[in-house]
Amino acid sequence: MTRPIAVFALFASLLSPLVASAENLPQRWVSAGGSLSEWVVALGGESKLVGVDTTSQHPAALQKLPSVGYQRQLAAEGILALNPDVLLGTEEMGPPPVLAQLAAAGVKVEALSADADLQVLQGNLQRIGALLGDQARAERVFTAYQAQLGEQADWVAKAKAETEAPTVLLLLGHAGSSPMAGGQDTAAAWMIERAGGRNLTTHDGYKALSTEALLALDPEVVIFADRRLSGDEARQALLKHNPALASTKAGREGRLVAIDPTLLVGGLGPRVPAGLAALSAAFYPGRTPLPAATP
Amino acid sequence: MKAVISPRSLFIALGLLLALALWLSLALGPVSLPLGDTVRAALRLAGLPLDDEGLQQAELILGQIRMPRTLLGLAVGAVLALCGVAMQGLFRNPLADPGLIGVSSGAALGAAVAIVGGAALGGIPELFAPYLLSLCAFLGGLVVTALVYRLGRRNGQTSVTTMLLAGIALNALAFACIGLFTYLADDATLRTLTFWNLGSLNGASYARLWPLLLVTLAVALWLPRRAQALNALLLGESEARHLGVAVERLKRELVFCTALGVGAAVAAAGMIGFIGLVVPHLVRLLVGPDHRVLLPASALAGASLLLLADLFARLILSPAELPIGIVTALIGAPFFLYLLLRGRT
Repeated sequence: MTRPIAVFALFASLLSPLVASAENLPQRWVSAGGSLSEWVVALGGESKLVGVDTTSQHPAALQKLPSVGYQRQLAAEGILALNPDVLLGTEEMGPPPVLAQLAAAGVKVEALSADADLQVLQGNLQRIGALLGDQARAERVFTAYQAQLGEQADWVAKAKAETEAPTVLLLLGHAGSSPMAGGQDTAAAWMIERAGGRNLTTHDGYKALSTEALLALDPEVVIFADRRLSGDEARQALLKHNPALASTKAGREGRLVAIDPTLLVGGLGPRVPAGLAALSAAFYPGRTPLPAATP
Repeated sequence: MKAVISPRSLFIALGLLLALALWLSLALGPVSLPLGDTVRAALRLAGLPLDDEGLQQAELILGQIRMPRTLLGLAVGAVLALCGVAMQGLFRNPLADPGLIGVSSGAALGAAVAIVGGAALGGIPELFAPYLLSLCAFLGGLVVTALVYRLGRRNGQTSVTTMLLAGIALNALAFACIGLFTYLADDATLRTLTFWNLGSLNGASYARLWPLLLVTLAVALWLPRRAQALNALLLGESEARHLGVAVERLKRELVFCTALGVGAAVAAAGMIGFIGLVVPHLVRLLVGPDHRVLLPASALAGASLLLLADLFARLILSPAELPIGIVTALIGAPFFLYLLLRGRT
């Protein structure tokens, strides 16, 4: 998918002087993809958004916009009621008959890739930039993003050279039932690796982990994808209710880290570098963390 | 059971209700069209040579979105209610619903295979995915129903009780398999599966509508011809046999009809509960158990109720929409409880 998008982006950039000067830029946008909505905002298009899907939770102002539902279950007439010029989303957007109905009604349907890949991201940003009429800004934002990820990689490389990488598990849904651990092919594994940790799981996807398996793996750091688990008190309560977790290395040393679960879906979003830096700081507590950069 | 109103007044009332539901379903939606535009666009779509100035949007929304959706709702509601009557007649129990013979769980299993298996193979073009899903759901319903029917047969006789028990066992088996697929599914396919199980009339298109319309028409024309036989069956199997009804053949036809009708409805719109259970029950309370009235009246009432439920589903959260299975169950379940408790006093 990367190639066609890159080629398309190339054409788009060649045509950009024409597009940018024309007044036929889409003015009313519906975005059905969490990361894409964030990028539209980061590229200065927030005022053009008239509706978002349920995965678009950041920045918080987007939650006030009309919700068009879940990205795979869009409703044709509901979206038409917002009178949009363009519907932006990932390839997961659907169902296909609804997209066809929207296209027939004159809505420009833009399905971009959600792969966690810098080239894909560059293509996506160029496309959004072209539609917003500000490709230069898209290019600037991408360069800065790439630089942040580069700094992150350097920081991790140095840290790993001096200290051994900690063993890590990322758990979803700690409340009540057995938690789901992020496997090898997940965004969780990607984040852990980029932040300098070593993911302990060997399975694919998110699978339930028994308490015994948790004890056997004995992670040094446990990441919780749960926004509610930010304060110390919440962490203490969690350990109290999960004796198995409390007796792992991570539990004994209190190395429990919470991250925003929305970072794990929808590809590379603007908040990923900051999220990685926060994880790295928790993985290597002795080192000076990367300065928090804003996208 | 005594009739509350005469069949004639019931048919008039249901006819008016259906007309109202059809009109509302075409006239209302998240996009508010002026009434005049709706009427003119409808007339144009009906073939009247009116001038189309300023009507493009109305015509598109009416012709491409609301009309197929309304037809889908009409067909699904009618066929689910008709099959509900057939099942309640077959099992001689007003609590029976088409799910009993495994058609719903079979269809759900077929859908799970299509959604999860399709994602695992990764090779199904987006364009064909919905068709594959419908086909698998339809075949799944047919296969499980055929199995239930086969298990209920012994020495050329079909035991309704054995069929009921076989249905329960196969439902459990099907749901276990669905559970297995759920476990294997990744996040995205899991959500697709969940939403499919809640049903929706969203995204209806003419291309996917025709098979269901044909099946509905066939079921709606054929079942009323067996109304007398169903009435005789109410007395008991041997009594019906003495009255000259070919009971074995009737059972086979009822099961086949339900597998076909519900299978096609589920394939087109996902799982929509409670219409097949509540509607025949409700109509029976109003006019009594005569199948000559019960069948057509249930078809009318089922279509009307489904259209009204869909109207609610698409307007309440606009611009998003609620899966219609939630609406029918939210209305159907309390209503069913009310019927149960009312009968007790």
